[in-house]
Amino acid sequence: MSELDRRILDAIASAAIDEETFNTLAIEIFAYQLRHNAPYAAFAKTFGFSPAHLPASWRDIPAVPTAAFKEATLCTFPSERAALHFITSGTTQGAGGHHYLESTALYDASLLGGFDRFMLPDGARLRYLNLVPDPRERPTSSLGYMMQRVARERGDGRDGWYVHGDELDVDGFIRDLQTACNEHSAVCIAGTAFAFVALLDALAERGRSFVTPPGSRVMETGGFKGRSRHVARETLYAALAQRLSIEPGAIVAEYGMTELCGQYYDSLPSRTTSQRIKAGPPWLRPLVVDPDGREVPRGTVGALRHIDLSNCSSVVAIETEDLAYARDDGFVLLGRDAEAELRGCSLDAEDLDVARR
Amino acid sequence: MPKISTSLDVSALRALPARRIASAIADAAERWRDADFPPRVRATTAIEARLGYTTPVVDYALDRLFESITREALSATIIDELGSLEALDGFVEPSGRPKRYARGLDTVVIVSSDTTIGVALAPLVFALCAKCGVVVKDRLDGLISAFLAALADEELAFASAARAASWDGGDAAIEDPLFAQADCVVAFGKDATLQAIRAKLPADTRFVAFPHRASFGYLPREALSDERAAHLWAQRAAVDFLLYDGESCMSLHGLAVERGGAIAPDAFARLFGRAVEETATEFPAGMVSPGRAAAAASYRNLAAFRAATGQGFVLAADCATIAFDPPRDAAPAFLPRTIGILPVDHPTEFVAYVQQHHLPLEAVATTPPLRDDVRAAIIAGGSVRITALGQLQSPPLSRGHGGRPRITDFVRWIDDET
Repeated sequence: MSELDRRILDAIASAAIDEETFNTLAIEIFAYQLRHNAPYAAFAKTFGFSPAHLPASWRDIPAVPTAAFKEATLCTFPSERAALHFITSGTTQGAGGHHYLESTALYDASLLGGFDRFMLPDGARLRYLNLVPDPRERPTSSLGYMMQRVARERGDGRDGWYVHGDELDVDGFIRDLQTACNEHSAVCIAGTAFAFVALLDALAERGRSFVTPPGSRVMETGGFKGRSRHVARETLYAALAQRLSIEPGAIVAEYGMTELCGQYYDSLPSRTTSQRIKAGPPWLRPLVVDPDGREVPRGTVGALRHIDLSNCSSVVAIETEDLAYARDDGFVLLGRDAEAELRGCSLDAEDLDVARR
Repeated sequence: MPKISTSLDVSALRALPARRIASAIADAAERWRDADFPPRVRATTAIEARLGYTTPVVDYALDRLFESITREALSATIIDELGSLEALDGFVEPSGRPKRYARGLDTVVIVSSDTTIGVALAPLVFALCAKCGVVVKDRLDGLISAFLAALADEELAFASAARAASWDGGDAAIEDPLFAQADCVVAFGKDATLQAIRAKLPADTRFVAFPHRASFGYLPREALSDERAAHLWAQRAAVDFLLYDGESCMSLHGLAVERGGAIAPDAFARLFGRAVEETATEFPAGMVSPGRAAAAASYRNLAAFRAATGQGFVLAADCATIAFDPPRDAAPAFLPRTIGILPVDHPTEFVAYVQQHHLPLEAVATTPPLRDDVRAAIIAGGSVRITALGQLQSPPLSRGHGGRPRITDFVRWIDDET
């Protein structure tokens, strides 16, 4: 493990990271990546940055669009030596992007550190019932890996996996959830939004509902991406709360992506309010920017950028098309503006997806 | 939501000769060609507010719409499709064939999309030429309502034969009775919207669907014989690209440029970039939603990333993004003022790209004279219109989107064999 990795791990282990420490680490990581990540260095050079000329602030680190992970191998080491290799699900442009990580240490520390803060502030040891890809079947799923690590490190050793290929094992889930209820073992049900929609449909068909043990919770992640009908998040949460007897405040949205090691979650205070605020661990910071990449004032809608110190062996600054606006306590995620009315009669990416199916 | 009145009375319209109807329509259109005509001024302001396009772009659209509606163009189109204008008035006897009458359908419903400027106008005027009763789903800008008022000023018969109203698409309380009584429904929009409308129609109701489509440019090497010629085509292509911020089905969504000319494709791309900057002063960019702006920025940054790693280059300015030599496995961006330029050796590469991405082509703009292999490639690509660069956004009145006829769908041929 490098000295830089060790310092990042120390920062992750600390309760907070002050501005100066964050800035120093972010710039050092960027400099390290300029030396060892050739495509990123070439991109950064177009902004005038090189190991000899670094930005003064982490806010000025050039962010790589997520789609670039499909275009180039963006890592600081030979990719064949990767300890972890995740592949994005791929959307309109076909093939997925690749995120290679040199070691598991930073990724594990980052995902567990965030999960502990936002999903387990009570330190509970839960049973993890996972409606996400089983990492034994899909080892390149970052979400599957994340939940496997969480279940292994924080679970009661009796985790279950219910997504196999495109199939949801509803019967297996019902059986295991019923067992947990009978044993009064609190559960964490983790899944994608479309998996929860499918689960709720199946439970409704079977006329099943549960009174989950106290302390149980839900972690919902991801959008719908055309995998099932779209359901408003409020509607989905209300249905989950009703069907599983879980308080809406114990249903938490996680926001992460394959290209990041860290994750955001609904902030603790916002979970009982009408507007969920996304907050991240101290080593992961968001920036909301305009189309020219300039940070916009709080309250102004822009695209989300992420600076993730745990992305040391890939790219420290990632740009997305997700819309958000910043607040003092985090940001409000608006998503991809899918509902925005398009003008004209031209084809768009969504039309093209339909045509390809 | 107001109830849509469907009590149309076409008796007065049917009593008029088709020639008189076409003439009255052309007269109304002529008044709308005047940019200071008060209803047009109001419509222009409303369209700008609704769609966010700038005044020059909306003016261009309205000019093209109303300039195309002339007596001559209406007559020529009707004669081309039906043989004569008189066929709409009663039985005519084409030489050697039975007497025939192109009787207009009783009711035509036109569902225009919320995202375009005046697409309902052409079907409206041809349905009226066919003496049909017409209901148009108008947009909030009220362009069609205002044009109908101008028509009624010309000829009172239009007032009882046509209605325009605004309602939310998919409102069953309005649409179900409307569609049930329609003999023909014309609709513009996304596939899902069109499929939903089609599903509501009785089996014998005609359905004329205009789905979203894409257009492309193809620049053969002969057009790149010197910098002057290349600059000319770059300027024309820039107009096709920038109008409607690249969001029309007749916008330039991609441009294939042949290698082998005196001006190489990369040099042409730079000429095109300069032409775009110049043309953008004439047609400034309109308002773009934050999501579309973010997607366009992401496309630009990805192109910059590719360029930094040795794959093509990107010309990015406030007004537009031009990516040279984007990967062939990436479909066109379909984002505001965003285009990829593909260097090709042969038109078959263009066809392969179109087919790889299942692009439903509306038109291909190229340079005359058309080479046989280019024409063959465009046909193979599925386009229904071949035009010159610079003319992409000015289609003739005689053909509808998707290569559809203009008036045939609105008439029922009656043969008298006695």
